[in-house]
Amino acid sequence: MEMPVPNQDIITKKQHLVRRFQAVLPDEAVIHEIAETLAYECDALTAYRCPPLVAVLPGTTEEVSAVLKICHEEGVPVVPRGAGTSLAGGSLPTADSVILGVSRMSDVLETDYENRFIRVQTGRTNLSVTGAVEEHSFFYAPDPSSQLACAIAGNIAMNSGGAHCLKYGVTTNNLLGVTMVMMDGEIVEIGGAHLDAGGLDLLGVICGSEGQLGIVTEATLRILRKPEAARPILMGFDSNEVAGACVSDIIKAGILPVAIEFMDRPCIRATDDFCGAGYPDVEALLIVEVEGSDQEIADQLGRITEIAEKHNPAELRVSKSDEESAKIWAGRKAAFGAMGKINDYMCLDGTIPVNELPYVLRRIGELSKQYGLDVANVFHAGDGNMHPLILFDANKPGDLETCEEMGAEILKVCVEVGGCLTGEHGVGVEKRDLMLHQYNADDLEAQLKIKDAFDPAWLLNPAKVFPLKISESRRAA
Amino acid sequence: MQTKFTEAQLKDPAIKRSNEVLRTCVHCGFCTATCPTYQVLGDELDSPRGRIYLIKDMLENNRPADEKTVKHIDRCLSCLACMSTCPSGVHYMHLVDHAREYIENTYKRPFMDRTIRWMLARILPYPDRFRLALRGAKLAKPFKGVMPGPVKAMLDLAPAELPPPSLNDRPQVFPAMGERVKRVALMTGCAQKALNTDINDATIRILQRHGCEVVVAQGAGCCGALTHHMGKSTESHAAAAKNIRAWMREIGNGGLDAIVINTSGCGTTVKDYGHMFRNDVLAGDAATVSALAKDISEVLSDLNLQVSEAPDLRVAYHAACSLQHGQQIKFAPKTLLKNAGFTVLEPKDPHLCCGSAGTYNIMQPEISGQLKERKVKTLEAVQPQVIAAGNIGCMMQIGSGTAVPVVHTVELLDWATGGPKPRKLQSL
Amino acid sequence: MNPSNETELAGVVKAAASKGRRLRIRGGGTRSRLGRPVEADEILSTTGLTGISLYEPGALTIVAAAGTPLAEIKATLNAEGQRLPFEPMDHRGLLGSEGEPTIGSVVACNISGPRRIQAGACRDSLIGVRFVDGQGTVLKNGGRVMKNVTGYDLVKLMAGSYGTLGVLTEVAFKVLPKPEACGVVLIQGLDDRAAVKAMSAAVGSPYDVTGAAHLPVGVDGDPVTMIRVEGFEASVTYRGGKLRDLLASYGDISIESDPAKTEAGWAHVRDVAPFHDREGDVWRVSVKPSDGPDLIGAMRDAGQSADVIYDWSGGLIWVLTPEGTDIRPHCPAGHATLIRASEETKNRLPVFQPQVEVLERISRDLREKFDPKNILNPGLMG
Repeated sequence: MEMPVPNQDIITKKQHLVRRFQAVLPDEAVIHEIAETLAYECDALTAYRCPPLVAVLPGTTEEVSAVLKICHEEGVPVVPRGAGTSLAGGSLPTADSVILGVSRMSDVLETDYENRFIRVQTGRTNLSVTGAVEEHSFFYAPDPSSQLACAIAGNIAMNSGGAHCLKYGVTTNNLLGVTMVMMDGEIVEIGGAHLDAGGLDLLGVICGSEGQLGIVTEATLRILRKPEAARPILMGFDSNEVAGACVSDIIKAGILPVAIEFMDRPCIRATDDFCGAGYPDVEALLIVEVEGSDQEIADQLGRITEIAEKHNPAELRVSKSDEESAKIWAGRKAAFGAMGKINDYMCLDGTIPVNELPYVLRRIGELSKQYGLDVANVFHAGDGNMHPLILFDANKPGDLETCEEMGAEILKVCVEVGGCLTGEHGVGVEKRDLMLHQYNADDLEAQLKIKDAFDPAWLLNPAKVFPLKISESRRAA
Repeated sequence: MQTKFTEAQLKDPAIKRSNEVLRTCVHCGFCTATCPTYQVLGDELDSPRGRIYLIKDMLENNRPADEKTVKHIDRCLSCLACMSTCPSGVHYMHLVDHAREYIENTYKRPFMDRTIRWMLARILPYPDRFRLALRGAKLAKPFKGVMPGPVKAMLDLAPAELPPPSLNDRPQVFPAMGERVKRVALMTGCAQKALNTDINDATIRILQRHGCEVVVAQGAGCCGALTHHMGKSTESHAAAAKNIRAWMREIGNGGLDAIVINTSGCGTTVKDYGHMFRNDVLAGDAATVSALAKDISEVLSDLNLQVSEAPDLRVAYHAACSLQHGQQIKFAPKTLLKNAGFTVLEPKDPHLCCGSAGTYNIMQPEISGQLKERKVKTLEAVQPQVIAAGNIGCMMQIGSGTAVPVVHTVELLDWATGGPKPRKLQSL
Repeated sequence: MNPSNETELAGVVKAAASKGRRLRIRGGGTRSRLGRPVEADEILSTTGLTGISLYEPGALTIVAAAGTPLAEIKATLNAEGQRLPFEPMDHRGLLGSEGEPTIGSVVACNISGPRRIQAGACRDSLIGVRFVDGQGTVLKNGGRVMKNVTGYDLVKLMAGSYGTLGVLTEVAFKVLPKPEACGVVLIQGLDDRAAVKAMSAAVGSPYDVTGAAHLPVGVDGDPVTMIRVEGFEASVTYRGGKLRDLLASYGDISIESDPAKTEAGWAHVRDVAPFHDREGDVWRVSVKPSDGPDLIGAMRDAGQSADVIYDWSGGLIWVLTPEGTDIRPHCPAGHATLIRASEETKNRLPVFQPQVEVLERISRDLREKFDPKNILNPGLMG
């Protein structure tokens, strides 16, 4: 993975920068010794690493502004960081950059049940947003698998999805407003507790801009009343293809489950060890969740079961208790991590049209044989967002490179069938160089223009999203 | 995660084990979410993932521990919440234990720090010395304002009243009442014997009533956890070895069905003896002892408790980290209390540590204080009449921050099954 | 000019850019009165770009050329038991326009209806766009899958950009199954404040409300509050009953489930029918729902005459005022867009809610970057 050559002038003035940061932040919030900056050298994508020059952990929007003002004046690149759970290397630093982490900003600022929103500092974790409102039976809908740990800041940066977005949408559909600090330190509010006020939808562009347009320090999020109940059904099949066909049939039948999740055999085994959900011993497993009153749930499950039975399922099992449901989901959400017990992995995130599932799963199987690396599949089948996990041995020379090549091939298949490179993890550095497979140079130029308007000096997370060659002249200027 | 150890390094069994642990970590960051110090400080370096990184770098480069690394490792409570959360099964405990030993061997702490650690290591594991120190502390309390942080913390923690030594804690055999169904050894502990003699008394009573012959083995003492967590492996292994020999003698004498531990901090360590001694001549015996070690709640779960009186009390159950994370015992104490007729309440964020963590409340009074405050707040929020916990450290820590009486789970169970009402509840 | 495909359209824009000729982009022409008055040299029609290029019911996806009539899209989806989730408003009655609305205009103006509170706005269902920028370059963003974070989300930016950043040529949507049944809980006689409270209780309930509107003057002259649930028949009956219980303390409640009546009722709200044949300007105000009644109250206290309709549980207020009046000084908490007014008024008052300087600058910058010659609907957004 190529990263820009660090600017030696910036590295040389490290002590000067540290002093300036210390003047506006508490001492403990400025992390600059080599032994300590090392811990900030990567996020959840460990294949690429580089310690930052300095890491700062401001505690307020004003402190973020003060830091950005300094970096702007000094021409120092800034890499924003939420909880560091990006699988795409979204907060991978460069040696001449400052990591700006929002992990100390995790307060709830306002909850309003009448108008159904919550305002939080963005260092707050996704799950603890729901945690703050669940006593009133409300929840925050987007639920990335890393929701226990991932921060709202990163969710907004990557426009994170989750298992339940088939019904509730992704981050952008649940984000009402932000307080954002521009690269020059200016603090700006966009959107708020109201909807669709008119004017260009800047909020829509900021969401998913991977920390390249500004640093979002506060967010107004839509909260929803919890359904009366929710229940998953486990459906086991003898092959991936049949499971894929079943998904398509359920959707065509006019039933909209809140989630349809898919796991193949390697994943089932690894995760069941962790969560003890008692996943069946099958080739492919679907977790389909429906919501409503007990009667409504029974109705929907009846319809779904009827469809599933046409595909000769090896197992159909409805969760019988909240505890069992929790275990079923705990396993699914821990699937990536659980694979870590088996080997190192690279997690892909391409999305495909749902009807192409059987074909793409077959192609992934073929590529796995061709490259000699095992693949486990776990993904959101309802919306076609795949997560093939390519297993490799990071300590074995050459394995990472083979894995990268194979990953690129799988993503190209996704694009070929009408899909995209990334459905919810973001481009980061990981898929940066594949962008030209999905977009042509003109398409990308249009995106670069957006960054020009928000961050003319190209100091915010500059080496991400776009192939380096394409962004080179702007970064150099 | 990729590691860079040389073949030569990997020949060291400690490094080999740490490499295994590091290789399972995928750096996903789930652990940060349930780490108490990360909750308080918000710095990756004060989270398991950050510490794993610091340890990895230190070990890979075979360099002496530096001040910053030591600072962040010292801040770890060893509550092991991260191990409950980790989907990859990273054995953080073995890694951080190794790191602590490595620090002890390669880093020279500042004078004050060294003195206090030396003092704690020489006092806490020895009940008589500890009792004496606590009496001294009572006299020194008026001067705490001028003392350095940890000393002040120690004086704060010293209880106003101390029980006299209990005769029950001396080596002896308590016969089973009725038909004998089990023969068990009771680990009477060290600091607990000085601070609270009711817990062992209640444990012995309830076990006897339910058909257990209870042995307090000659020669068994401190489990070694206190020194183990300071990285002082010579001392901790010596203490552990004494216990292993003592219990092996009992196994030889009349057999043991279990080694009962009612201080879960000790339980976690005794259950790890097998690992600690894996390359020692005692390996086999240590593994036998670890396999027999049981928390009191595990033993009672097997005994079909005879409830004689169902006290109608609202009990907030505080899950000690060593129990819920260290030993993964999450439900047994709650189930036992419920079955005994208590109304069991759980505070918000039950996975978070109360900040006691062995000597942590002495060494890191500020973080510990913040965690105590959070824990007490969430416990009081459920409006309990009594708080129950399975670990003396938590009991002392929480007790120092609330007016709600704090008792050991076994005291409540003993009461509900025919034992006396716990002393602290006399006024209820 | 009426190009028949994307390449031709790009050619037209390129030529216009080189000559500096300003273009008025036009679909069916039913929404031409939205936005500020445009001074253009030529009209560029998109009605030559028609046709559904892809419809995959099993993947809940439809892709169509921008000039495709909305009616064609609706009919195609309907045949498979599906629909556009966001219930786009028809502006013909309110603006007094004629013609066939196109799917492109729905996107360009980000048009949504009552279901917005539950299913999101047009921009939320939009998953891909192709468009031609102000220099004649064909660009694409997003695609045909419902989860896509590959690069910046220009899809959202294009929705509601009124053709000022580019001329849409193709749009892709996530669609949803059309529910089997619909039920509307009707509460009679509530004042604005009580109505907003009732609607808030309904949308904050677990019964998945898909519409909540309040007409202070209903068809029979009395206030009526409408709460909608949709789904399988049994479910609608169940939820309707639950809502009736929940809202019992508010007033007289009835439930309407006749399909023709419920559809007509929501079309009435969606298309702002009560203001169709009324004189005066129409404003569209976005607010935090609970602020709505106070805002209207303050306006009336200040002597401002205002008829209103509450949609989106009170978060969207349609306001009818005497011609030429500026409501903004009276409603500091609202975000007001002037929808229907004379050219004179629209030239005098900001049509879109003025923003803080930095956001104005960025919006202006973006328009300049995508349309450097300022030839696409010049002046429409400011």
